[in-house]
Amino acid sequence: MVSSFCWSCLTRLRSTPRALLPPSVTAPRAAASFHTSSARYALPTKKKNSLDGPPKYREAKSARMKKKKPTDRPRPPPVGERRTLRKRIVLSNPNALEVEGMQDISAETMVDSRLRGSILGLPIPMIAQLRAVQAFKPTQGWSIFRRPGTVVRRETLELGRLIDRISSDGEDKGKAVKKIVTGARGTGKTVHLLQAMAMAFTKKWVVVTVPEPQDLVIANTGYASLSDENPHVYVQNEVTAALLSRTVSANEEVLKKLHVSQPHPDLKSSIKPGMTLEALAKLGIQDPAAAWSVFGALWTELTATSPASGFEKNFNSRPPMLVAVDGLAHWMRNSAYKSAEFEPVHAHDLVFVNHFLSLLKPGSKQSTLPNGGILLYATSASNSPTEYGFEVALKQVAARQAGVKESSPEFPQADPYLRADQRVIDAFNSPKSSVAKEGSVELQTLGGLTREEARGFLEYFARSGLLQENINDEWVGEKWSLAGGGVIGELERLGRRLRTVA
Amino acid sequence: MPPRLNLFSVRASVPVFRQPSTPSVNLATALNLNRACTVSTTHGLNASVQTSGRTQRRWNSSGSDGKTKLDSTTADQLPHVSEEAAEMAKIMDKKSDRPTASPELEQGTPVQEILKRDKEAQKHAPKVMQDQIKKSTGTRSFSTSTRQWQPELNGQGKGFDEQTAAVVANMISNVNKQAEELHPGLKFEAPESLPKTENFRKRYDDLLDQFTKLLMRDGKLSMAQKNMTFILDHLRTASPPQPNPKRRLLPAPPGPQLPLNPVLYLTLIVDSVAPLIKIRQQKGLAGGGASVQLPVPLLQRQRRRTAMRWIIDASDKRRDSQFAQRVANELVSVAEGRSGVWDKREQVHKLGVAGRSNLALAANRR
Repeated sequence: MVSSFCWSCLTRLRSTPRALLPPSVTAPRAAASFHTSSARYALPTKKKNSLDGPPKYREAKSARMKKKKPTDRPRPPPVGERRTLRKRIVLSNPNALEVEGMQDISAETMVDSRLRGSILGLPIPMIAQLRAVQAFKPTQGWSIFRRPGTVVRRETLELGRLIDRISSDGEDKGKAVKKIVTGARGTGKTVHLLQAMAMAFTKKWVVVTVPEPQDLVIANTGYASLSDENPHVYVQNEVTAALLSRTVSANEEVLKKLHVSQPHPDLKSSIKPGMTLEALAKLGIQDPAAAWSVFGALWTELTATSPASGFEKNFNSRPPMLVAVDGLAHWMRNSAYKSAEFEPVHAHDLVFVNHFLSLLKPGSKQSTLPNGGILLYATSASNSPTEYGFEVALKQVAARQAGVKESSPEFPQADPYLRADQRVIDAFNSPKSSVAKEGSVELQTLGGLTREEARGFLEYFARSGLLQENINDEWVGEKWSLAGGGVIGELERLGRRLRTVA
Repeated sequence: MPPRLNLFSVRASVPVFRQPSTPSVNLATALNLNRACTVSTTHGLNASVQTSGRTQRRWNSSGSDGKTKLDSTTADQLPHVSEEAAEMAKIMDKKSDRPTASPELEQGTPVQEILKRDKEAQKHAPKVMQDQIKKSTGTRSFSTSTRQWQPELNGQGKGFDEQTAAVVANMISNVNKQAEELHPGLKFEAPESLPKTENFRKRYDDLLDQFTKLLMRDGKLSMAQKNMTFILDHLRTASPPQPNPKRRLLPAPPGPQLPLNPVLYLTLIVDSVAPLIKIRQQKGLAGGGASVQLPVPLLQRQRRRTAMRWIIDASDKRRDSQFAQRVANELVSVAEGRSGVWDKREQVHKLGVAGRSNLALAANRR
């Protein structure tokens, strides 16, 4: 049978117009503004191994997080790197502006009361000395200013005058002053010590410091009995050698001019006649085992008033001394060291600590600092263990200073139930000295700055370009109150606090 | 204006009894708007009740202020008689060396006390007071309502006194208006607008806050703040950035000034590398299950967040041991145009430009 229509007719059949066809499924519903052909005629993409699909055989269904590949850092960082970063002291910020007309601490400026409330810079050559005695602490804000400087406050001027009087020829020449500096947190106790050191360096004194008393009692260094005669007194050789090294590098210039003037029987072999004190101290640095006896010898030399017989050759009179200890409270309790019986060793049994605390007592025949000088022992408010005996001892010092008799009922006594450490109380119980030039222990409490001093301090921030504010009395008064009545540490925080200009 | 009283006789006789709203103005007192107002309706017991001086009145609670609210015509804010006498005496006595005035005149005295002492004055006292002195029973035979003295109740008999009082009130209201124009509703000058960061809840800059929170690990905010302090100090002390001509920071103060304001410096760095858009992968727009990249605009906070995220991620690849040090170094390298963060930003923007055409698809879909 033949079909009803022929092939030729079929071939002649034209394709249906597009509009009659049903719309294709894949085509976009509306025409895009650009070509879509590439998207439409693209090969169907290969299905990715996505989480949506059914799990393969024995494969977990839960979402898998991509693990971040850890970067290979040298782990742990090299020994001591973190410590150096933590202890690093930066004294200059080259970005800060130079303050014009800023004076340096010198013999004239340290007694000039017109400079009260202004900032005195530390002279550049002295900075190496101050670094050597570790006068700067990493928590202080030296690093944001062009160069280090300190505020001249009332206590600074008093201290400056005192140092001036002790050095110059007058009735106070050769006086020994003993002070314990206390105060709330951030009131500038450590910086007060720093100012004292700076002034002492300008007056060519010998400066001996213990910047971190805590390091002596936390059992980080070796210790040994001092001798067989007194087995319960301990000596720390490395710490003593470090003290000698600090003293030598800071006071090199002074010590080079002084010569041995006393016999030292236990160091007979190593001491040569005519040796300078610098060379003497270096003996202890080279041989830490002998450090304590070398320190003893150095101390005898520095406190000598006249040469012993046979040593009269080139004897120079000894300069006054500044002894500064920061953070005293750590020395007022048991140390972390143990005795041979495994009992805790009291800090006062360490010969190093004992030496510095015994300076608070009046000397037996002569003054403890016969050439004059200042003992400045500061407490710390941010890093200090609570020690009841020490608190009572400080109150007693204040009462004695105020003239309260020890027999009177007003005299502060330790609460018998609170177990005050009697050794601590005795250490500060110094009777009046028989020597006229030796003062008894005084308590100096630092407080806030006055408003004028605070203004000077904040202006220093502004002149360094760090504080972009209009500084007037009202603004300063506001900050002064915010800083707890001019507590300088808080003022510094406010000064470097950044306020947006909005 | 002439003085209202014969002030020379004031010290001699006790000038307690005075006609209400006398037709003269003590302009100085009227102008003194900030003082607590004293209505000296000296009539009857009212005067004796509100006895002594302005100073005492100022300590009164606010409830008593309501009572002394002024009507427009009784707004004659004259001082108390004894006060005025004291002032006058002061003026008069400036040249002579006599003691200025008795404490009675300076501080004011209850009328009853004066009447007790002064028999002559008792005779001339108003009847109510005389009655009260005679029999102090504690009950009053009269009304103490002040409404009685208000003009609208007082009726039509407006005398000369009321007219002048109206003039005075007019003047006072004029002065009041002037004062209001100076400081609308304020006793003192308006304070300057405080910066936003003076509020202790908003004490840190927006960006600083955001960055600090992004630095935070394990919820240790104070650790993050410490790190932020380190970063800011690093920006403050590091040498000013060498600008890269290809990758410039946003317009800002010149480079050497930037370290002096580290917050501005940080803001500048973050804002300069912040992307304008993010790329969203949208499926099913082009059909065939292919995903299409759509650029989506970001808000400022989102843009900054992205940039900070990039910076912190990039800092992870550094080899410094401290986290804060790594971030600080990365920030400086961003400022100098060396960081890979810039590449990320360029890549996102390139994708965004390419994906612009897909926006129409998304628009038509809706």
